[in-house]
Amino acid sequence: MANIRICAYTDKLSVKPGETLSVMASTDSADRVRAQLVRLIHGDENPDGPGFIEQAIASPIDREWPARKQYIQKGHFLHVADAGGKLAASGPITLHAYIFPTLPQAGRQMLLGRWSVDGISGFGLGINPSGHLEFWVGDGHATDAVAADVKLVAQVWYFVAVSYDPASGAATLYQESVVNRYNSLLSKIVPYDYRAHVTETLRVRPALPTDTSFLIGAATERNPARGAFFSQCYNGKIDRCGVQGAALDRAALDAIRAGGAPDTAHVLAYWDTAAGYTGHGIGDTVVDTGPYQLHAEGYNRPVRGQTGWNWNGRNDSFRLAPHEYGGIEFHNDALLDCRWEPTLSLTIPADLRSGVYAVKLTAGDSAAEEYTPFFVRAASPKAPVCLLIPTASYLAYANIGTAFDGALLQSITASTPIFQELDIEVYKNDVEFGLSTYDTHNDGAGVCYSSYRRPIINMRPKYRAPGIGTLWQFPADLSIVGWLEAMKYDYEVITDEDLQREGVAALAPYRVVLNCTHNEYYSERMMDATEDYLAQGGRLLYLGGNGYYWCVGFRDDEPWVMEVRKLEAGSRAWQARPGEHYLATTGERSGLWRHRGRPPQKLVGVGFTSEGMDISVPYRRMPDSYHRAVSWIFEGVEGEVFGDFGLGLGGAAGIEIDRYDLTLGTPPHARILASSEPFTDNYPLVQEEVYFMTPGLGGTQHPMVRADIVYFTTPNHGAVFSTGSIAWGSALPCANYQNAVSRLTKNIVDAFLTPGALPGSSYDADERHRD
Amino acid sequence: MTAPIDNTASTTALVGTRRLLPRLAGHGGVSWRRWRYPFTRRTPLLIETGYNPTTLATERRIVNPAPILWLIALAAIAVAPPVFGNSSFISAATTFALYAAINVIWMLTIGTAGIFSLASLATVGVGAFGAAYLSVYWGFPWWAMWMVGPVFGLIFGVLIAIPAIRLEGFYYALLTVGITELCRVYVIQSQKLGAAAYGLFGADGFVPKDMAERPGLIMGFYASFVVLLLALALYRAIDGQRLGRLLRAAPEKHEAFAEALGINYRAARIQVFLISSAALGGVGGFYATLLHGASPSLFTMDQLMLLLAMIVIGGIGRTEGAVLGTLIVVLFDKVFIGLGPARLVLIAGIMLATVLFTRGGLFGIPAQYRAWRGKRQTERRGQRSGKGGEVMPDEAMEIADKQSIVARRFDARVRAELKALITDALIEEHRTSANKRRSDALERVLTYFRRAAVADKYAVLAVKPFAEYRIVALSGRRGVPPRVVDDQVFTTPEAALHGVFLKRVSDLRDST
Repeated sequence: MANIRICAYTDKLSVKPGETLSVMASTDSADRVRAQLVRLIHGDENPDGPGFIEQAIASPIDREWPARKQYIQKGHFLHVADAGGKLAASGPITLHAYIFPTLPQAGRQMLLGRWSVDGISGFGLGINPSGHLEFWVGDGHATDAVAADVKLVAQVWYFVAVSYDPASGAATLYQESVVNRYNSLLSKIVPYDYRAHVTETLRVRPALPTDTSFLIGAATERNPARGAFFSQCYNGKIDRCGVQGAALDRAALDAIRAGGAPDTAHVLAYWDTAAGYTGHGIGDTVVDTGPYQLHAEGYNRPVRGQTGWNWNGRNDSFRLAPHEYGGIEFHNDALLDCRWEPTLSLTIPADLRSGVYAVKLTAGDSAAEEYTPFFVRAASPKAPVCLLIPTASYLAYANIGTAFDGALLQSITASTPIFQELDIEVYKNDVEFGLSTYDTHNDGAGVCYSSYRRPIINMRPKYRAPGIGTLWQFPADLSIVGWLEAMKYDYEVITDEDLQREGVAALAPYRVVLNCTHNEYYSERMMDATEDYLAQGGRLLYLGGNGYYWCVGFRDDEPWVMEVRKLEAGSRAWQARPGEHYLATTGERSGLWRHRGRPPQKLVGVGFTSEGMDISVPYRRMPDSYHRAVSWIFEGVEGEVFGDFGLGLGGAAGIEIDRYDLTLGTPPHARILASSEPFTDNYPLVQEEVYFMTPGLGGTQHPMVRADIVYFTTPNHGAVFSTGSIAWGSALPCANYQNAVSRLTKNIVDAFLTPGALPGSSYDADERHRD
Repeated sequence: MTAPIDNTASTTALVGTRRLLPRLAGHGGVSWRRWRYPFTRRTPLLIETGYNPTTLATERRIVNPAPILWLIALAAIAVAPPVFGNSSFISAATTFALYAAINVIWMLTIGTAGIFSLASLATVGVGAFGAAYLSVYWGFPWWAMWMVGPVFGLIFGVLIAIPAIRLEGFYYALLTVGITELCRVYVIQSQKLGAAAYGLFGADGFVPKDMAERPGLIMGFYASFVVLLLALALYRAIDGQRLGRLLRAAPEKHEAFAEALGINYRAARIQVFLISSAALGGVGGFYATLLHGASPSLFTMDQLMLLLAMIVIGGIGRTEGAVLGTLIVVLFDKVFIGLGPARLVLIAGIMLATVLFTRGGLFGIPAQYRAWRGKRQTERRGQRSGKGGEVMPDEAMEIADKQSIVARRFDARVRAELKALITDALIEEHRTSANKRRSDALERVLTYFRRAAVADKYAVLAVKPFAEYRIVALSGRRGVPPRVVDDQVFTTPEAALHGVFLKRVSDLRDST
């Protein structure tokens, strides 16, 4: 029997009643899918908790829809709309570029040209499967090529070119390195001779099918099932490149290699990759300064603003020296937008209550199912409680594959991954839905962009994260949703995307805002909105761990794509190359907020201190919790120790944990209400705290490895309650939501719901000891 | 505690050698115009340029020196006989060139087409007798004889191709031997074909009648040499082009696969067979003009056997083998004629030795030697280092990332330490402490297990979450799914994780 599969995503994550949402689905072995709108209440199937809970909602989409297989175009490349066919090799031509190949022996890779793979026609300058620079031509029947004699060395900057004259057939390759003290992996002390200058007379003359585009970093291919697509994608960087209408001689190419602008007499196109930069980011259009303005458009967002061939190490941002930052980085496994056709559209009913929803797709009697979660906001906010869904952090972890590929993962999590069939299916299909910002591209470079316009298998209810044996992010956050439902709070949801777009206005209408379990990725606007909300008297429950950690960027017109650069510190899956620390999206320095002067402690009193995924532990009350200003928080919570249960590894404190620290900006009046019991040595102190390397950084030996529950007030009757633990949310549903963690959270929410002075706020003096 | 380290490395012989022949340096910054054979996309020599791993200097290497060796060998063959040899030597050389041409063409049938026909000499004979007949009775001049030879060859080829469609291998070979014998019997009984004179002679020849003997012999030799060159060119044109490639895609026992790819290998085989038959007929026509007629010896079993000896000694499937084998056999048969009948025993001895001791004849020896050396090397390494042991000096040369050599030594030390920690009590502690803090000894062991490289690392597959778990091993390569390692099924994740632990402990204990 054929294996039926359904994969889908939505074009939006945050919608209001009246807005229309499209569901893009692709099916294997099924030509119809059944759709059902569902409200998601709880996402953890663990038999120790309430289990998976959804509610079917009647809607017009509740029927069968035609569906089909849809394909995915991976790979970075630049597309040149050359409608006039100016870039043809009908006369003498020269193609030239600075290149920094990172995987020279990964199959045929196109640098620049116009090549039809199936039609074997056109011309291209690229890298052949044995790792040599090659220029090839095809007339539709036969191909011919000239290859450089020495191989390209990975991660070294070169200037390469080909001069070709179809009249004589002579093609001359030009390959010289432009290594300086900073720009390449190797320096001039390595006795490599990178040069190659080869001429051959080609027998075949290029034919140019009109439907084959000029591309930088890819070739065109067609097959009957899929139609036209792009293949032979390049891995590496390309800096300023161009096409000239003459077969330039060596002296002319030497002049361009030295950094001179090409002689305008012959220029057909010259892509000045460093042109058009602004202090607030770089777009996807690469400017052609030549006579025909044949600008190149990036596909899957090639990484721009990277160090170029002439980067000399003094400037560390494209904002300071754009001309040294002409590098555009390409990867053959990049994916930002599947660009599928919509399978169905849903107009959000006016009476649909704000909350977490999904379109559930099934096919016939098969077990195949797919949920495409999305978040419905209120048309205009009415409820007093707001749940802020950390969609930016969902993007960061979207389709994370480190349980398969990361040798260190089992050491980080201190556990052996437990996979589900879905994980294996996707991995087997060459990680078909792209990578997360925790993965590396095939050439080892970190992934800095992630998007939700693709199926995200770990942003699904029921999904269990293979590395940690429990739930992570979205499905874990549903435990907080389930708790809000069980406590019958009148709540609405908003997402990071709304916070990014609207700023503090998105939070201001609410008396209480709850964070989810892991809001790690924050843009500047999101940080500002949270800070402004609290300063205005907002009340926030930070029910998670390792929040407000990475600095990320979004474009206003493409909120589905997030960018992050992992810098020299922090708990990081990769590290950006020297000089590539600024977001191409916004021009900001990325990395940890802590290193831009805004540690999470400044905002919520606690900040990341350790992580581990072997066990979670309970909290023990601290003496400060008996002060009348805060003792009301523990009403109904029995005993000194609480939280020795939870669906997140058996405790309320754990997985990723935060601590109070005055030196990092915890407000001086904040109190530690409770702190965790000792963790194991599989919870080591975070790297950004380690100045000198010493033994004894694990949880059994280092006092900074702990989760602190912190409470403090902010101006205008505002307040912050932080748990500093990812496992907190997963403890809420235990014993049918009747437990100490649930009670404590409820005490806070109930108090925060009451306008005006907070409980205990009148106790502003030290208590005297009374017998 | 000091781990026991295998210290044999310090007593191992030194590795590394000096080059006997200098390597060509790279072109560097010099503009290199690379030449091609006219009207082709081929360059004269396949040259590979690379960085020497020891010095990083650019070096050029001729990947396949065959063209140079061919040129030298053919030049020697062309020059040596007239310059150094007497008349009988020149006729022997002529015989050699002609037989070499026949063998090269025959190789197309046996090697390229894979049709085991022993009728090659018979085809030559048919061409020779046909041409001689037309010359003797119809007065065809020598150039017309050259032209009719291929026609006779082709007709004969068509006739013997028909059974090739139905018969295979050994049976077809037998059939062709039978046909050859039939031809012989027919020729020695037919009055018209010279039964009385043991051959049909009196045909026209291309050597002018008034030419002296030695120049005539030399002219015959050079004409035969040209026939050899033409045969080599034909071989190259068939075997190296489309037909040859189609047939290489359909080797014995893989025909069905090739057919599924849309390759009509039967048609290609027959085509090659017919082309080589016509060519052999052409050689026959030439033979008749060289000897002024045709002899029934072309159809005799002893000639056929000599021919077979030639290609077996040189190695079936290689033109250089066919030429060298012919050279050796002709040398013994014609030049060392003084040895008498013993020379035939010698030829048989050489043939037997090549069959017994070589794979693919004399020209297969270099590859055979390399394979043998590789096998010995692997055996020696296997004796010296167990799994995960110290890297030996000759092995280290092949490891680009030297850090991995250090890692292997480090790993062996760590394993030796950890083995001492593994006790039944420790294993029991792991089983019962799934959600508890573990002892330092157990954590030490677990830390080592967790840090292992991804390839073949154990993990768990939830076949049915909370109900059925199995142990898998990761591939470490995107696109290659984990493999299930055994048939154990666990009902809880804790049990599965303990199962993984037991596997890792067992692997640790099994390692050196």
